[in-house]
Amino acid sequence: MSNVEEGVNEAEHRIENGALSGDRRSFFASASSLAMLGGLAGSYGTLAVMAGRFLYPAGGSPMRWMFLTETGRMKPGDSFKYTAPSGHTIAIACVGKTGKAEDFLALSSVCPHLGCQVYWEAQNNRFFCPCHNGTFDASGRATSGPPAAAGQSLLRYRLKVEGGLLFIEVSVDRAVASAEPSLSGGQDSCPGVRDPEGAC
Amino acid sequence: MGFLTRWIRERLPIDGDQLREWTNEPVPNHLKRWWFCLGGTPAYLFAVQIATGILLAFYYEPAPATAYESVRYITETATYGWYLRSLHKWAATMMIAAVILHQMRVYFTGAYRKPREINWMVGMCLLICTLLTGFTGYSLVYEQLSYWGATVGANITDTVPIIGGFMKRMLLAGDGYNERTLSRFFILHGAVLPATMILLLLIHITILRLQGVSELKFANERGDRPQHFSFFPDHFYTEVTIGLVLMILLSALATVLPATMGPKADPLSTPEVIKPEWFFYVTFRWLKLFSGTVAVLSTGLIVFTMFLWPFIDGWIRRKTRASEASVWIGIVAVITIIGMTVWEAIVAH
Ligand code: HEM
Ligand code: FES
Repeated sequence: MSNVEEGVNEAEHRIENGALSGDRRSFFASASSLAMLGGLAGSYGTLAVMAGRFLYPAGGSPMRWMFLTETGRMKPGDSFKYTAPSGHTIAIACVGKTGKAEDFLALSSVCPHLGCQVYWEAQNNRFFCPCHNGTFDASGRATSGPPAAAGQSLLRYRLKVEGGLLFIEVSVDRAVASAEPSLSGGQDSCPGVRDPEGAC
Repeated sequence: MGFLTRWIRERLPIDGDQLREWTNEPVPNHLKRWWFCLGGTPAYLFAVQIATGILLAFYYEPAPATAYESVRYITETATYGWYLRSLHKWAATMMIAAVILHQMRVYFTGAYRKPREINWMVGMCLLICTLLTGFTGYSLVYEQLSYWGATVGANITDTVPIIGGFMKRMLLAGDGYNERTLSRFFILHGAVLPATMILLLLIHITILRLQGVSELKFANERGDRPQHFSFFPDHFYTEVTIGLVLMILLSALATVLPATMGPKADPLSTPEVIKPEWFFYVTFRWLKLFSGTVAVLSTGLIVFTMFLWPFIDGWIRRKTRASEASVWIGIVAVITIIGMTVWEAIVAH
């Protein structure tokens, strides 16, 4: 800075000091600093919120009710395999004869522990999850491993009966098969004995 | 002054003496022992990861339909692709091992104690970032292990109280693994985590420079010898030597045991025997022992304790005068970790 400039600046300072009392000056200074800080925080904050909303996935996976069979064609003990649009095979079992949705059972093969696929071990009459050794009996109730420790059963797909026709609610995402179907939160629509072969 | 020197000096006003002073930090004598250079090893391997990672990213295509084929292309078709991929994989393994060894060195020499608590916590952040980078890395290959590892990992975050569901959706870009999941893992692996680590490393090294390396005295050291040697060139040469040895080791491993490809991810069936990478064996075994919530919360508590260890250790030492308690706790912890890792390694389920 040249000497001349320095002199001018000093003069300006003196003029300012003379025109405004020290108190008011510092009030204006802090008020404008605050306003500036507020503006910065507000605008960058808005941008951050927008970024967050952008990253948060929009919508869930689309679900649809799919036709399975006529209820009259199944009697207790019957079961068949249904391939969902996602590619998952779901075993549908009939466990009662009133023809209501509660008489049918559609067990999810997604382990309620951390989401691996369980598979049926015929020799042990149980479902086994290879990830952390969870086991489930034929009705989907956890019998050992972490799922049993937390009391988590295999979830069940939602079913409904309309005009004698049985429907299941499944994801229609073909996709990488979103492993998670929409499920009726492990709640028992069939309390009491759980035996897929026999009645509730 | 030659023309060139003057030309540069005029444009980059750096004083040679100052430069010498900056780089010539006195290094305590005990750093002549190689195991105290373990901190430089992960830093070196990190550089290898960035170089090989950027090269891999030229061919890698982060989508379920293309990922596996693009890794196969890298492995089987791209010239030297197999070598670069194997370097990336082996350097990742060694980096994780080096970070763990470095942390053990710091722990057992008590180098985390006052005034170095902050750098211990920065180091913990680096450890977590390294493990997460390894985890997101092997999710990219889109083989069976990648898919089920990612699924289990995302569901673990889901177990975290309150924010878990949000975190899982953020990670997977949806409620379950979908078309948009893999690109998230890729960005985390190749950009977000490495950038965070560069920042953390800068802080780590700055604090280290400000405080100096902790001093240790060995019984067989003579008092009349100088206590320090220069960073440049003495310590620099040690690091270069370590770098060369690492490169030879990496190159040999990559050639003899190149990275292979497991079966492609199948969202409809989990393989009957499934294991994560070795550095997650402990967590994996832990998950088998308890219900999900218990396992996740206890792991959180352990990590939290490790984080605050310098303060907890200080408290123990003040209260009990058992100044070596940390050593015994450390030995028990290491034996437990090794035991659980070996246990997981030798059984199928
Ligand atoms: C911070 C250090 C890093 C670690 C610990 C790490 C670790 C890993 C691991 C374990 C894999 C799987 C290896 C395999 O089975 O093939 C992987 C894959 C990959 N990484 Fe990294 N990585 C790091 C940094 C980076 C960076 C900086 C980039 C690029 C910007 C990158 C790009 C990739 C790509 C494209 C793949 C998939 C291709 C493949 O598996 O061959 N990585 N990484
Ligand atoms: S995912 Fe099935 S037991 Fe853990």
